[in-house]
Amino acid sequence: MLTLAVSAGGVLVWIVWVVAGFSCLASGVAVVSFSNPFYSALALIGNLGSLAVLYLLLSAEFVAAAQVLVYAGAVVVMFLFVIAYVGPRMEAPWAGGPTWQTLGAVLAAGALLTEIVVVIGLEAGGSLAHSAHVGADFGSPAWIGRVFLSDHLLTFEITSIVLLVAAVGGVILGSHTRRHDPGKRAHGVALEREPVGDPR
Amino acid sequence: MSAVDQMGAAAWLCLLAPLAGTILILLAGTRISRAAAAWISTGSVFVAFAGAVWAFLVLHSQQNRSGTIWTAWTWLQAGSFKVGLQVLVDPLSTMMMLIVSGVGALIVLYSIGYMAGDDEERRYFAYMSFFVFSMLMLVEGGNLLLLLVGWGLVGLSSYLLIGFWHERPSAVRAAKKAFVMNALGDATMALALFVLIAHSNSLAFTTSFATAGSLSQTTVDLVALGLLGGAVAKSAQIPLQTWLPDAMEGPTPVSALIHAATMVTAGVYLIARTNPIFEQARTIELIAAGTGALTLLVAGLIALVQTDIKRVIAYSTMSQIGYMFLGAGVGGYANGMFHLMTHAFFKALLFLGAGLAIHALAGEQDIRKMRGIGALMPFTKWCFLAGALALVGVPPFSGFFSKDPIIASTVNLGWYGWVFWVCGVVGAFLTGIYTFRLWFLVFTGPPSELVSSHFAAPAAADGNGAEGRGHGAHHGEGPWTMLVPVGVLALLATFGGWIQWPPKWEYVTDWLKPVAPTLAAAVPSSTQEYVTSAVTVLVGLAGIAVAWAMYGSGRIAVPKAASARQLLEHKFYFDELYDALFYRPTAAAADWLRRDFEEPVVLQTGPDLGQTTLDAGGLVRRLQTGLLRTYVFALATGAAVIGIVFLLVK
Amino acid sequence: MLGPGVAWYLGVAAFLFGTGALGVLVRRNVLIVLLSLEIMLNGGNLALISFSRHAGNGAGQIFALAVMAVAASEVCVGLGLVVALHRRRLALDVDRLSELRG
Repeated sequence: MLTLAVSAGGVLVWIVWVVAGFSCLASGVAVVSFSNPFYSALALIGNLGSLAVLYLLLSAEFVAAAQVLVYAGAVVVMFLFVIAYVGPRMEAPWAGGPTWQTLGAVLAAGALLTEIVVVIGLEAGGSLAHSAHVGADFGSPAWIGRVFLSDHLLTFEITSIVLLVAAVGGVILGSHTRRHDPGKRAHGVALEREPVGDPR
Repeated sequence: MSAVDQMGAAAWLCLLAPLAGTILILLAGTRISRAAAAWISTGSVFVAFAGAVWAFLVLHSQQNRSGTIWTAWTWLQAGSFKVGLQVLVDPLSTMMMLIVSGVGALIVLYSIGYMAGDDEERRYFAYMSFFVFSMLMLVEGGNLLLLLVGWGLVGLSSYLLIGFWHERPSAVRAAKKAFVMNALGDATMALALFVLIAHSNSLAFTTSFATAGSLSQTTVDLVALGLLGGAVAKSAQIPLQTWLPDAMEGPTPVSALIHAATMVTAGVYLIARTNPIFEQARTIELIAAGTGALTLLVAGLIALVQTDIKRVIAYSTMSQIGYMFLGAGVGGYANGMFHLMTHAFFKALLFLGAGLAIHALAGEQDIRKMRGIGALMPFTKWCFLAGALALVGVPPFSGFFSKDPIIASTVNLGWYGWVFWVCGVVGAFLTGIYTFRLWFLVFTGPPSELVSSHFAAPAAADGNGAEGRGHGAHHGEGPWTMLVPVGVLALLATFGGWIQWPPKWEYVTDWLKPVAPTLAAAVPSSTQEYVTSAVTVLVGLAGIAVAWAMYGSGRIAVPKAASARQLLEHKFYFDELYDALFYRPTAAAADWLRRDFEEPVVLQTGPDLGQTTLDAGGLVRRLQTGLLRTYVFALATGAAVIGIVFLLVK
Repeated sequence: MLGPGVAWYLGVAAFLFGTGALGVLVRRNVLIVLLSLEIMLNGGNLALISFSRHAGNGAGQIFALAVMAVAASEVCVGLGLVVALHRRRLALDVDRLSELRG
């Protein structure tokens, strides 16, 4: 695919980039704006897909594939399952006009954004123009695998432990620890206010 | 043991035996009986006396008697300034050791009988031993710092013993008064010592005395003045004399030991000890003599109208110490010290004798009510007479040998010397009057009602088994523990003066010559000596005659002289003056501070601080909204701010 | 490198990050907050990959993979929490879940 792009003289790359970038941004905004969480999850899929394309353009083939498999394939599916289980919860975030809170939030987010841009611009402005030259196998699965098992073995192992812990945690959180509803108890003892290390 | 080592051992024994007694009584607490505590204390002071005798004998056998210092260990060392725990054995200190431990032992023995039955006897005897230890530290201390330590400790003991019957508010007040006035003296003494250290960098006797010659006149005057301040406070001379009569609130043996024989004479000892400094500040020394002269007159006058038997004797003490100051102030240190010794004998005798009477009358001290007790207590009567004659200075009693040389030594000093001479003679006249007023009123004549009632039942049953009379149930006049010391002191008061009769034989002056040589200006010629003695004796006898005429036989009526009487009864209004000058302004200032500063500011600060903290906490609490969004917002804002700071700093 | 320079990719990443932050701050529905978190993480990932390509160093891609794994774990736990909340009949509204209020 890359060789094809090279032969088209970079114009194709630009076009792909614009389309992917635009859809990335649009779907990002969509995720944040929809009132129905189901739609937001679907927008997320679009976001993830565009990102995968961008990764491909950046010679990160394995990461792009992982993105689609893991994120779009597993994470978003989990989201959809839970949204379906929880049921429709509509929320109108932009109704009632901008409150002080939203204004503050917009300012904060905007400040963060500006800062990131400024910092990167100031720090690395000049050198961002010229990227390094990479070989053909940069970002390929074989290459990633080799690096994972040699230079970054620790990362590999720790990541697996984190995943294990999260899986266990998820199971426990989601399991039925109580036989009855917290509202009704066999002996009539109220359960809702059970203190969990409450300092009061 | 070599002679020097023996002296050291004796000195340490003398010093530490009473302390051991105190500690033993304190540690044993209520595990020992009251009598056991009493005998431990008495025993420890007798052991101290044995040590003093031993040290005296060894020193006596020495050729060179200039004094030796033993250091137990070095206590304080700051650069070249060194001070250690030292005892000094020299003629002056051994003389004082003998007096303090000897008379002290007799008085503590007497206390066994006097304080028998008191609930807190153990505390009393612990204090008494502690006092003897402090006084011995004062006289035996090998450097000025230990002298000051002993000085302070005797002040403490005095406070503890005056206020011994602490349920009595008057006793507590008197103890406080004594302590505060003594503290004034302590402060001036400490200041004097600071000046001395600043200039001579040493508190050892020899070094600091040696540098006294090289100090400027102002400096040495200041040092001498500070020392004199301490002496005046401790010895109850004008202007710091008002505490002594009040100190009679303490038990009679305490008055005898502390406020007659030993502590109040510490001022005289100080002047004798630091005489090189005083000789450099001659003016101050003469001021000391003048203070003594003034006090002896004033005290003698006040004693004429006192109705409490102990207060008469207290004012007499004040007056006699005035004589000692006069003697030491003009340069006759040996005279002053000799009078100190004889005074210890007869004054203790007078107090203890009065104590016998008070004890027999279950605590009555008013001489108008005690009339005629002499008929029923002959032993007391004759012993008291011996003491009274010694006090007035009738030969051959001891007072004659010690008082007259003091008066005679003033003649060669110039015009003020003659003033002192006249004061001394007039003082002798007054002494005759007030002493024998006391004797005639209390010990002669028919018994008063009170006296008879106290002696009725025990006299009839020969003193067997009469309970509930308080002190009245004795065989004879008192237990042997009370009668023996009185008898011994009577003998000493009668014969104790025979060791010196200037100018014929001067054993005491010779003994003290290595340490406190008499100044040339204070040595009268033989003629002056004899004439003064004759005049003083005649004047004293005249006083006795006047007292007999007024009180003994009633030939002359006691003069009314209302305004003079009022002045004397109010003790020349010194108490009122000090109250207005010092006490009231201080009390007002303290009140004002409490009202306007302590209550609103200091006391309120605590609660205010607490409330402020709570309020601040309440404010901070508002941050804990519990809402996720606020927390995330804070995070984001924080990150933004840090980013900006990072940018700016870079 | 063909196409736009690294700076453009970084711009996109920054914008994604900002949008995600906005979503976390403004939205009240717990699920949407979690989704916005994912957006933020993806923005970070894009930046990592871009820098990795720019420097020719593979560490960036490795890190991005680790981030992906962590994001998956976090989503797992977060959704477990949502399910637990739902079971206890509590409102899935961040403004109502304020038991930590001091």
